[in-house]
Amino acid sequence: MSSVMTGRDSLIPAKAGIGLRFQHHQAVLDVRPDVAWMEVHTENYMGGGTSLHYLDAIRRNVPISLHGVGLSLGSAEGLDPAHLARIKAVAERIEPSLMSEHIAWSVIDGNYLADLLPLPMTEEALDVVCRHVDQMQSFLNRRMLVENPSTYITFRHSTIPEWEFMAAVAARTGCGILCDVNNIYVSCQNHGWDASTYLAGLPPAAIGEIHLAGHAVRELADGRTLRIDDHGSSVVPEVWALYQQALAIFGTVPTLIEWDNNVPPLEKLLEEARLAAGFIAVAERESEHANAA
Amino acid sequence: MPTLLELQRAMRASIVEGDPAGIVGSLADGIGPDRLDIYRNTIFSGLIRALRLAYPAIEHLVGREFFECAADIFIREHLPRAAYLGQYGGVFSEFLHHFAPAASLPYLADVARLEWAVNGALHAPDVRPLELRELAEIARENQCDVSFQPHPSVGMLRAEYPVDDVWRAVLAGDDQALAALDLASGPVFLLIESTKGDVEVTRLREAEWSFLNALCSGEPLLSAMHFAADLDAASLLAQHFAAGRFTAFAPHADREEAGAAA
Repeated sequence: MSSVMTGRDSLIPAKAGIGLRFQHHQAVLDVRPDVAWMEVHTENYMGGGTSLHYLDAIRRNVPISLHGVGLSLGSAEGLDPAHLARIKAVAERIEPSLMSEHIAWSVIDGNYLADLLPLPMTEEALDVVCRHVDQMQSFLNRRMLVENPSTYITFRHSTIPEWEFMAAVAARTGCGILCDVNNIYVSCQNHGWDASTYLAGLPPAAIGEIHLAGHAVRELADGRTLRIDDHGSSVVPEVWALYQQALAIFGTVPTLIEWDNNVPPLEKLLEEARLAAGFIAVAERESEHANAA
Repeated sequence: MPTLLELQRAMRASIVEGDPAGIVGSLADGIGPDRLDIYRNTIFSGLIRALRLAYPAIEHLVGREFFECAADIFIREHLPRAAYLGQYGGVFSEFLHHFAPAASLPYLADVARLEWAVNGALHAPDVRPLELRELAEIARENQCDVSFQPHPSVGMLRAEYPVDDVWRAVLAGDDQALAALDLASGPVFLLIESTKGDVEVTRLREAEWSFLNALCSGEPLLSAMHFAADLDAASLLAQHFAAGRFTAFAPHADREEAGAAA
């Protein structure tokens, strides 16, 4: 990397933002909501047409973050150069203030399995991911954030705790971390990990963004309970609590409310963003007190 | 211990082909392969949603359950080759054409071809259209050899059934119009294009369609004019330019040059 990059060098303010979805394009233009920034899925703006025109208009008023879901950083077979080029084209048009991708895989033998699939936490997977993060950052010529996954399975041959895997990717590639607090809660509940240990294991200086979202709870046939990261409801109290803990460790960080299924009216998202903004304000005051003391 | 590549192939076999044999040994204790069903559901419901967005009239025609069943089979046979789903599902019409349970609706595949062209027009990139005056660069004696590059939103479709009427009636929910259609009225010649954010489907006369289709296929102007039969090719060409249907030209009927001029 040509320049030294810290965790907080993005143009996105350390405030609350919302995920922008097609359903809210017109409402956002009409209402001009008081929200510090917005994030979109990069893949949703790869075609031409109306949605891209909406984003062109919306980004004049508010900084935009591009959140990729399809690059498949964990694919053993390598990154798809055509997809990298599509991402670059969207970035050149939208001029995002921040860009991110996922620690997951979705492409095998050239086929795209349209989900964020879990990686084994092995040295081999770590090498593959780091190689691809390097490739992505040098191709896009910018520092990226990578998001911790939510998972429903774990593998027998995993040897690295997930938080150490995340920290190692950031340390080796210089990328930042998008800390999805809901994902941490979901995975910790599903696999019996300790969420405080997870948060404490992440390098605070690398945290460039936080995600919050709702999840579903499902009973399995074997009587066990599984939490499903469906982004289809409000943030639950346990995740708000974990978020406060994260802010205390990481300091104030740009925080996004994500909602992808059963998308409610825009006002509901703004309401959740105001809650996050309230927690950010509290964390700010507490850190000022700490500094003054 | 499987390599990452072996593990990813085994997960694909479990998720897509429903064969968990290769993955069970790699899952941690107490984790049944049924948990992979969560991933399967997310993947398939996302891809079915992408097909539903591209083929709303097909879903109306066959019903939600039939559509989801056909889509599920289609997805297993044709997984996306790109992580951008705006381009996914182009061969669904071909699939429906050979899909035995849909044989009683012979026009279904043609409606799907129309919807795919509409989808293409909706998602076409913005490209500046070529203006008629730019042709002045071509020496008069070379004008017959010129060939054109169609605007990416332009689609040409010849269908054996009046699928434009079917499509409009279905999307308007007009069952009476649908019932009144004469499916044996002969082939239709359609132009699909986006105009100011909307997609328009226009029925052309056969010669008019053949002329434009030849131009859009990169035929040089002179040979395309043969398709225009007794129509006024010059005034048709002027209309196509006014509507912004071309983006580039190549002076010597060379398709590769047409690409370079874009």
